[in-house]
Amino acid sequence: MLVVAALLPLLSLLAELPATAGTVVEVLGVRRPWELLLYSTALAAVVTIAALAVGIPLGLLIARSDLPLRRTVWALHLFPLFLPPFVLALGWFHVLGRTGLIGAESTARVLFSAAGVIWVLWLAFTPVCTSLVALSLLGVDASLEEAARLVASPWRVASRILIPSARPAIVLSAIVVFALAISELAVPMFFRVDVFPAAVFARLGGIDYAPGEAFTLALPLLPLALLLLALERRFVGPRSFAVAGLHGMTREPIALGAWRPVACAAALLLVVLDLAPLLVLGQRAARGGGLTALPRWLGQAPWNSLVSGAVAATIIAALGFVLGHAAARRIRGATSLDALSMLAFIIPAPVLGVGLIAVWNRSWSQAVYGSLAILVVGFIARYTVVALRTISSVILQSARDLEDAAATSGAGAWRRLGRIVLPLNARGVVAGWLLAFLFCVRDLETAVLFYPAGREPLTVRLFTLEANGPQAVVAGLAVAQVLLTAAVLGLGALAFSSRRILR
Amino acid sequence: MTAAIELDRVNLALGSRRILEDVSLQIRPGELVALLGPSGSGKTSILRVVLGFLAPVTGVVRIAGEPVSADGRVLRPPEERGLSMVFQDLALWPHLTVAGNLDFGLAARGVPRSARLERIGTMLSRVGLTERARAYPGELSGGERQRVAIARALVLEPKALLLDEPLSSLDTPLKRELMLLLSELLDEHRVPGLYVTHELREAAALGDRLAVLEAGRIVQEGSLESLRSAPATPFVRVLVEDFP
Repeated sequence: MLVVAALLPLLSLLAELPATAGTVVEVLGVRRPWELLLYSTALAAVVTIAALAVGIPLGLLIARSDLPLRRTVWALHLFPLFLPPFVLALGWFHVLGRTGLIGAESTARVLFSAAGVIWVLWLAFTPVCTSLVALSLLGVDASLEEAARLVASPWRVASRILIPSARPAIVLSAIVVFALAISELAVPMFFRVDVFPAAVFARLGGIDYAPGEAFTLALPLLPLALLLLALERRFVGPRSFAVAGLHGMTREPIALGAWRPVACAAALLLVVLDLAPLLVLGQRAARGGGLTALPRWLGQAPWNSLVSGAVAATIIAALGFVLGHAAARRIRGATSLDALSMLAFIIPAPVLGVGLIAVWNRSWSQAVYGSLAILVVGFIARYTVVALRTISSVILQSARDLEDAAATSGAGAWRRLGRIVLPLNARGVVAGWLLAFLFCVRDLETAVLFYPAGREPLTVRLFTLEANGPQAVVAGLAVAQVLLTAAVLGLGALAFSSRRILR
Repeated sequence: MTAAIELDRVNLALGSRRILEDVSLQIRPGELVALLGPSGSGKTSILRVVLGFLAPVTGVVRIAGEPVSADGRVLRPPEERGLSMVFQDLALWPHLTVAGNLDFGLAARGVPRSARLERIGTMLSRVGLTERARAYPGELSGGERQRVAIARALVLEPKALLLDEPLSSLDTPLKRELMLLLSELLDEHRVPGLYVTHELREAAALGDRLAVLEAGRIVQEGSLESLRSAPATPFVRVLVEDFP
């Protein structure tokens, strides 16, 4: 299923090459697309560096310091990651736009520029670095840190032992942030900044409709994706560096001493920056009647998001469980499928989107292409890696002997998976499902390229209404997206806190 | 004579669970005390209290006469106590080479580069790992890793050395070889130490004095002969009876 969902689109894109040969020179033989590609790459690089600059120290503070309310800071900081960055952009528009809460002509000018794009994407994606680094540090063997603390100051232990130990997580977070940033379509379009994905998008709809050119334009992104995959294979691979729980937070933390107030102030400021635009969106929606008008404007969009996300997440969790187990136990072929799922995630969204269109927009497959099924296929292609890596990390930390004991008792592979591995790793599978579901529900950059007419998810509804819908209603739709995400996270937290549901 | 390490009526609790109860123990300069006890008796907790990773609820820990922890407070952080430790799982930093593992602590203590290189070279030569200086821990055999861990602890010329069952995972020939090396190195460096183990053979071979810990209390201290002649508890009796 992963091969059908993820590999076929990429192969079909290559298969389209001969047919689009005529347009290659015409489309790629001019400067503009290359300038856009370079510009998008530079924007993504700046976002990545900025996210690392804040995410690494914050991850360290959350995982290993005596920063007060570390878990709360982490949860609040993480929340915007599960929203489409476009929602944050809308929020900042209501804060810094010309008619914004503290806006003026000058702030609007800065916001509607590359600086605004970088600002919003930095806030949206820094939690990736923070969380991967924190999880990695929680997984560092306590004795490695203690051996260093016997001879070195906390600062030296952090810089020479802990952060180098988290190197795979840092590299992975850099790759993920770069891939998400270069795929981002809605935020640059909203802030009127020309980027490469927008050029591809423009040729798949509207007055510039030219699908052949879109295929051609997507081609230069392929080597970029392969480069990211090569880096990921070299420095990260399918290994686990994270922990399955947060037990590491109960270890004796490193005392910040005189730096504690400074660290508190910095963490608080970041949380305020993370949440302020969402609060302002709520205020704008409520004041302008956007919330009361919502039922008329929402249509089927939330339902489309929930159904496609739930179906996709369920299939992804099942795939992630089987493949994650295979990757954890180094079963032959698992590494290749792990690499394929990673490639589909880090490949710029326009490439995957255009590939999916090439495979499924055919007369024989309209039952898929014209329904929510195409969203499910797209989500499976893009987000399988999320569940695969989560579940594989959890399985890696469970004893292999338990499976071997089942094998020596005569249980076959599927029985072992169903009766031993699944019950023992149920929390990991549910966490994989939840993460996959959240990523599907927040997706805009992939779905916007091929959503079925009249069956758009909430993110696409929000994006398409932004151009000509009433501002209060658009803010209301954004609030609906925020509440939907918060509700899913809340239910997930409840499930994890209930020992009876998930032991 | 001032004790190298002294625990004075140390009590430790984690939550509602009492881990150590009125533990008093002295390690004199140049002496190696072997601390024996069953699993869960609190042996590793004593090491963590001495190192400064845990603060005793009541009681005092002194190093070279200076109080370093007292009544719930850590007065000197671990890095300022001048102690070294060989961890049970060795805790070699996987991203640093053998030489890098030895260098880390020396650099942290501000030893000049030329002196560091000399001390690392001498120590690696002593443990027979000169050729492996640029290797990473993952590239070493089990015995080589043990030697790196011991070398890393001793290269710092610590005030005292703590060892947490460092040989527990080794086969008998390798264990004998490393016990001999450890014994020679401790004699050469004349460093006092606390050696935690659950094997009387190791304790008797390396320790100048034995202390037995049961359920967080020191139940007996003395030589092997004194333990044999008057075992204080059934556990001590079983321990010495099983030893030829």
